[in-house]
Amino acid sequence: MSSNATTPVAPASEDPRLRLTMSARDLVNIGIFAAIYLVIVFTISFAGVVSPLLIVVTFPLSIIVAGIPYMLFLTRVKHAGMVTIFAVLVAGIYLLAGHPWISTVVTVVAALLAEAILLAGRYRSRWAAILAYAVFSLWFIGPLLPILIDPDEYFSSATMQATPEYADKMRDFLTDQVLWMYNAATFIAGLLGGLLGAALLRKHFRKAGLA
Amino acid sequence: MPSRPGLDPRTKIIAVIAVSAAVMSAGGGRFIAAGLLLAVGLAVWERAWRRAVVLPLFVGASAALAFWVPLVRPHPALGAVATGSFLGLRFAVALGVGMHLIATTSPTQLSAAFRAWRIPRGITVSTSVMLRFLPLVATEATAVLDAMRLRGLTGLRAMLRHPILAIERFTVPLIASSLRVGEDLAASAMLRGLGSPHRPTSMTPPRFGGRDATFALVVAALAAGSVLLSPGPA
Repeated sequence: MSSNATTPVAPASEDPRLRLTMSARDLVNIGIFAAIYLVIVFTISFAGVVSPLLIVVTFPLSIIVAGIPYMLFLTRVKHAGMVTIFAVLVAGIYLLAGHPWISTVVTVVAALLAEAILLAGRYRSRWAAILAYAVFSLWFIGPLLPILIDPDEYFSSATMQATPEYADKMRDFLTDQVLWMYNAATFIAGLLGGLLGAALLRKHFRKAGLA
Repeated sequence: MPSRPGLDPRTKIIAVIAVSAAVMSAGGGRFIAAGLLLAVGLAVWERAWRRAVVLPLFVGASAALAFWVPLVRPHPALGAVATGSFLGLRFAVALGVGMHLIATTSPTQLSAAFRAWRIPRGITVSTSVMLRFLPLVATEATAVLDAMRLRGLTGLRAMLRHPILAIERFTVPLIASSLRVGEDLAASAMLRGLGSPHRPTSMTPPRFGGRDATFALVVAALAAGSVLLSPGPA
């Protein structure tokens, strides 16, 4: 990375920045918001560990709530690359927490798409930010991908052998249609999270001078 | 902090990624036993006795749910639990190896390892900020929860009646106070040279040694063993 003098205060709000050089302040912001994002997601999904039934609630809830720090983070993104680095950090932590490697790839791809949306909104558009959060949230489909990639192993396991009629039903059920429903649910939760984040930005953070 | 020199942080990172890739990929079921052995072995070596006991218990319970229960009592609802347990089983094995990395590697060692790999400064610096900051945010989160409990805002009924309000009451103070702490941390870190273009030197530079070679041999043996002993192509 080059070390050309970057102005610490960037008052320019009109021009989209394509420059990839990060100032120290940018990097600190990425680290801080990634930590807040992870703590919020972990806190909420931890409730899902207690009972598998709660996952139905905690899964969309964690996406919605994590939209709040994410939208605040986006107000501090002044140029390209920051959203992707944020995703690399989150994906790295989840990789160490036992998520499949394919989930890491999905996260980074989702972040690149989000980056493209933000760029289209010139890094200033509120609706682009909300949409970008919804797209970034699609990384939540990653952890389930092993079942979808390798259904044969799951359905030939002892579990399914014992209940063949159930295995067939599951197999019919866990197909494209469910995958798309899951994707759609994730995306909608992401949109809701983005909207909630934008609303709270207006209600609290802008007033407090944090946005 | 490890009381004695452990593995090179780079070895640990590669081990976590390799185990995750093996266990999570197609036909990865056959690597579960080997991965569990590796994770428990690392825990014993590190003298993390609690993990050495809890991990096999958890994996054993998940395995029972995934393989044994459906045979004894075939039922569709149990089938769903079994499929979930099979996935959870794989998570637990990869997590077990990951916990060794997290428990024995300090953020400075980790960023020294990243520098040795010539990973871009943007990722190295923000990773060390995040790792330094995670425990602080966790502390703030408990403080906010305590304050909410004091005001009687953590009741399940109140949360269900106004879910958005409950979310707001938890996240807004958490983010605001974390950012305030973050400003201080960032200022002090920058004064100590964070984000400077110069390449920092490390007190304990990462070096591969005999330990890492032995570890690689053990991993190779475990991987070969699980491929050879697996009952036919899975």
